[in-house]
Amino acid sequence: MAAPSADITALVHEPIDPVALTAYVRGNADGAIVIFDGFVRDHSQNRRTLYLEYEAYEPMALAKIQEIAAHLHNEFSIHRVAMVHRLGRLELGETSVYIAVSAAHRAAAFDACRYAIDILKRTVPIWKKEYFEDGSVWADGELPPVPSATSAVKPAS
Amino acid sequence: MPSVSQPVRVKVLFFGRLKEIAGRTQESIDLPAEANIESLFAHYASHYPELQQYRSSLVASCNQEFAPWNTLLHAGDEVAFLPPVSGG
Repeated sequence: MAAPSADITALVHEPIDPVALTAYVRGNADGAIVIFDGFVRDHSQNRRTLYLEYEAYEPMALAKIQEIAAHLHNEFSIHRVAMVHRLGRLELGETSVYIAVSAAHRAAAFDACRYAIDILKRTVPIWKKEYFEDGSVWADGELPPVPSATSAVKPAS
Repeated sequence: MPSVSQPVRVKVLFFGRLKEIAGRTQESIDLPAEANIESLFAHYASHYPELQQYRSSLVASCNQEFAPWNTLLHAGDEVAFLPPVSGG
């Protein structure tokens, strides 16, 4: 269990406010903030992108984002985390995911932020559909790792 | 009443292209006792043959945790079929 933290983790349907999130993680004992700002690119595999639509298995996706944030506190000497993913239709240049990590020293902030986006892209149930002038396609994704079958028989929840 | 097989009602969720193939985002379904996620998927694949080609590139979840295909299902479980994730 991570130390009681005041992280921000969210799925939102409106534009993300990077300034507010960055200010939120900034503390007097910190010396660094590392930010990952993922935004909509104007092309994909040589096709011109018009816009994207993101959907999520929302309760599970939020739980997974919260797990990642908690894990960051266990693994890295950091202060606060803001991790927000936007859903719905996004236009070119709009931020889809924003991660800000504050820490006393830069190395932990860099490492934690990199880890957070890499794990998010691999394990959080969010899907992106890309719209082009001549059609649309679900983006290629990654298959999350699943616990082994030896633990398959779960107790009733 | 161990000899009486009670149907197991579960909630099933579809995402991404699976939602488009199944034509729905979710439904409740009654399964025989001893049903697992694999047999649940087979049920849908028999109704929507296009689903079968995606079987090897899906993972499943049960009650919002990733779950192996042989996970036994219980009444009230929430099962989802999840295509490769592409957030970020």
